[in-house]
Amino acid sequence: MINRRAFLGGVPFGLAVVSQPARATTYFTGATVRQVLFPLATQFIDRSLTLTSAQAKAISNASSARVSKSKVAVWEVRGAGGKLGTMFIDQVYGKHEFITYAVALGPDGDVRQIEIMDYRETYGDQIRIPKWRAQFTGKRHGQPLKFTKDIKNISGATLSCLHITDGVRRLLATYALVIAQG
Amino acid sequence: MAGDDDLIRRAQPWFGTIVEIAVPKGCEAAINAGFAAIRHVHARMSYHEDDSDLDKLRTAPVGLSVAIDPETVCVLRFAALLHGETNNLFDVTVARHLVAARFLPLRGLHNLGALTGSARDIEIIDDTHVRCHAPLLIDLGGIAKGHGVDLAVAALMKAGCRHGIVNAGGDLRAFGGEPQLIWLNRADGGLAEPISVTNLAVATSSNCHTRTRHKGRVMTLHIGHEQRPVIVDHAVTVTAPSCIIADALTKVALADPEFANTLFARYGAQMIIPELLKAAA
Repeated sequence: MINRRAFLGGVPFGLAVVSQPARATTYFTGATVRQVLFPLATQFIDRSLTLTSAQAKAISNASSARVSKSKVAVWEVRGAGGKLGTMFIDQVYGKHEFITYAVALGPDGDVRQIEIMDYRETYGDQIRIPKWRAQFTGKRHGQPLKFTKDIKNISGATLSCLHITDGVRRLLATYALVIAQG
Repeated sequence: MAGDDDLIRRAQPWFGTIVEIAVPKGCEAAINAGFAAIRHVHARMSYHEDDSDLDKLRTAPVGLSVAIDPETVCVLRFAALLHGETNNLFDVTVARHLVAARFLPLRGLHNLGALTGSARDIEIIDDTHVRCHAPLLIDLGGIAKGHGVDLAVAALMKAGCRHGIVNAGGDLRAFGGEPQLIWLNRADGGLAEPISVTNLAVATSSNCHTRTRHKGRVMTLHIGHEQRPVIVDHAVTVTAPSCIIADALTKVALADPEFANTLFARYGAQMIIPELLKAAA
């Protein structure tokens, strides 16, 4: 597993991290996931918004989930007969994974379907270094993750959807407190 | 060919993990049928789900016949069979220990100490009815997930998919004539070099990173002989014809590998220790 060492530029004290097998799977793009979530849709109206700090606090309180970014990517979905529902695209970070996912709500705000759009994951003990996983976001300099393309089917219960569950709760609170009110 | 990159993949969160379905191009529509099977098993057999069959059994008075889904009865029948064959080692009623260790939520339970029943107190009346003869708490855990994978595979094949993979984290099944490369997760979170499987279920379990302390002793998700926690520092992979068998036998193999060895031939199963394979680079 440990086959070479690399140094992350800018990591305090020259902290060494060891390269790990990593994989990235893209299941959907924003353009393709909507066809699976709402095959009968005729219109996706961009209703993306920026939460005020008061709204973010209210959502956090209502959902017991941290609101780490104020921008919400959300679409009102319409079909031939009127409103079909709402679609969110959101990201969550786990211990060693980065997940983009889409949530389809029905017209009454109930969860109809959740699809993973993009999943990136590393394996091994070094993933517990918080700055290691920050690389997923592309927000820091340093050694980019090298994703091994042929890692597809992994047997082993490492994939947790706990953060997705938190994320969906946060989006439902966003819907109830901000979008449905608007 | 092994590691077929032409497969279309979709993934949804179920069973507390991410479930991925991979099928050949042209079979995209069948994926919905696969996920519908997963959704059904999750709704009926997840410990965490309100209105599940486990919820019904948890809240029903002792001795009362409870109407539940035939698939839940199917999983309970298998659990009863393995309970007998493993001399009570495999027991789906150990959930009270998992609740005590806070691996599972209380869900309104007040007196864990009163839940003294074991798997032998579960009477399967017919294909849709079950009766508990003592207060007990059931968690189907991995075998429900394994059964969900098996039902998804059946749904995909019925919808015309000739080959593919359903992967629910620890429980995976490759179907059809195409060999597939499967990477095994080791207990340290690293990966072993892949194995190639054809028409086979692969389940991997470990408890290295799911441990807690309860009343001064280390607890894990796995309960073994004399209801003591199983503490093993490596992962165990079992291959078998179905995912429910593969998953259940990983639990037996973690608790008592020598005894598990005596069961493998009967179930068409084999054991692999991922740590003994070469590490993936």
